Amino acid sequence: MDLVNRYLQAVKFWLPAKQKDDIVSELAEDIRSQVEEQESALGRKLNEAEVSAILKHHGRPLLVASHYLPQRHLIGPVLFPIYLFVLKIVAVFYMVPWIIAWIGIAISRSAHSEQSLLVTLASFWTAFWPTAFFVIGSITTVFAVLERNQAKSKFMEQWDPLKLPPVRDPNRIPIANSITEVIGGLVLCSWLIGGMWYRTIFHFSGMSITLAPTWEYFFWSIILLTVIGMFASGVNLFRPYWTWTRASVRLVTDCAGSVLFCWLMKANILASISVANVPESKTAQVANAINWWSAKMFPVAVVACVVILGFDVYRILRIRMRDGHSGVLNAASGAC
Amino acid sequence: MSPGSESNGNLFENLRLELRRGCLVLAVLAELRTEQYGYTLRKALTESGVEIDEGTLYPLLRRLESQGLLVSEWREEDKRNKRFYKISRDGKTVLKLLQAEWQSIGLSLEEIFKES
Repeated sequence: MDLVNRYLQAVKFWLPAKQKDDIVSELAEDIRSQVEEQESALGRKLNEAEVSAILKHHGRPLLVASHYLPQRHLIGPVLFPIYLFVLKIVAVFYMVPWIIAWIGIAISRSAHSEQSLLVTLASFWTAFWPTAFFVIGSITTVFAVLERNQAKSKFMEQWDPLKLPPVRDPNRIPIANSITEVIGGLVLCSWLIGGMWYRTIFHFSGMSITLAPTWEYFFWSIILLTVIGMFASGVNLFRPYWTWTRASVRLVTDCAGSVLFCWLMKANILASISVANVPESKTAQVANAINWWSAKMFPVAVVACVVILGFDVYRILRIRMRDGHSGVLNAASGAC
Repeated sequence: MSPGSESNGNLFENLRLELRRGCLVLAVLAELRTEQYGYTLRKALTESGVEIDEGTLYPLLRRLESQGLLVSEWREEDKRNKRFYKISRDGKTVLKLLQAEWQSIGLSLEEIFKES
């Protein structure tokens, strides 16, 4: 019976303090009754393996004890989907930018110092985990507190169906977006034509900034893409649904814009800076540093562009799926 | 057995357990119209076709007792201390109501089965 006592001791450890003895006595009685029944059937004492089989059938001590414990959870099934949603949002809008910024810093640091890229990334990795744990831990704590107060707050009972958001159509283009794009395009064009027409883009109180000769190509290309974008946004304003054609135009213009932007980062676009009473060698150093930083940010620019183009491609796929689905529905209704 | 039929088998088993879980309270209350201790109660239920494991039965007995539907006492029998359970007066009232509900559900389901 040593094995049974060991088992009961293991169960007892996890039981609620006030009921420990009572539950264990009842459980002991049940196990002993089973042992006795088998012994009388076999006409002999059970060996250790046979007793072990009975205990195994009862279940792991923690599991057995858990049946006597009240159901508890840190974050319950009602709040858990919101908790997951918040974690995903934090991952996308906090952790990912944090990682990208760190990678940028790591690349520039490795270029400046003797430290290898691997060592820099390793230092980033060790810095990442405390931040991640802090963020996830804070969110979990907040939700655990909300869970405890959920019943008291009557949050789940107090709601109004009339305040539910309208049905979301992913292929509908919000008018506010189109207006913002048109206004943004106008502001950009005005700024480019007003202030960036010539290579010397700034000339004031003894300071001037001059761009490289290649700026001319960038200038006209940006103007052209902005005008096309404004035109497309203007059409979207009056026909606020994504179509395959307009989504494709958006993809092509975003592709061209991405290539242009990434090229601009590497083009050493700043030719010179001159400031009154400052030696030319000093201002050349500043211009070189700005061009160098711009070139170093190239991978970040590429990642950002790939994300934007990914969204564009996803939009086209979504439209194709919608069109395919409505085609099937039309065929079905035609057959009827 | 194909993977599909295996998962169907698991699904059926889960649904069957879910279905039977609802009947356990009824079966335990009815069986405890006669005083019994845990081990004999479990055997009686098994013999009647209601299989229930120890991990489910004993916590259920405690819950029903805390709800006032059962009463229990520790008593010596065959030189061993055993906890005997019996249905309480409130338990008998609830049992009658549950039996009526059970019969009503049975009749409703029979009707539904006939229609389908």
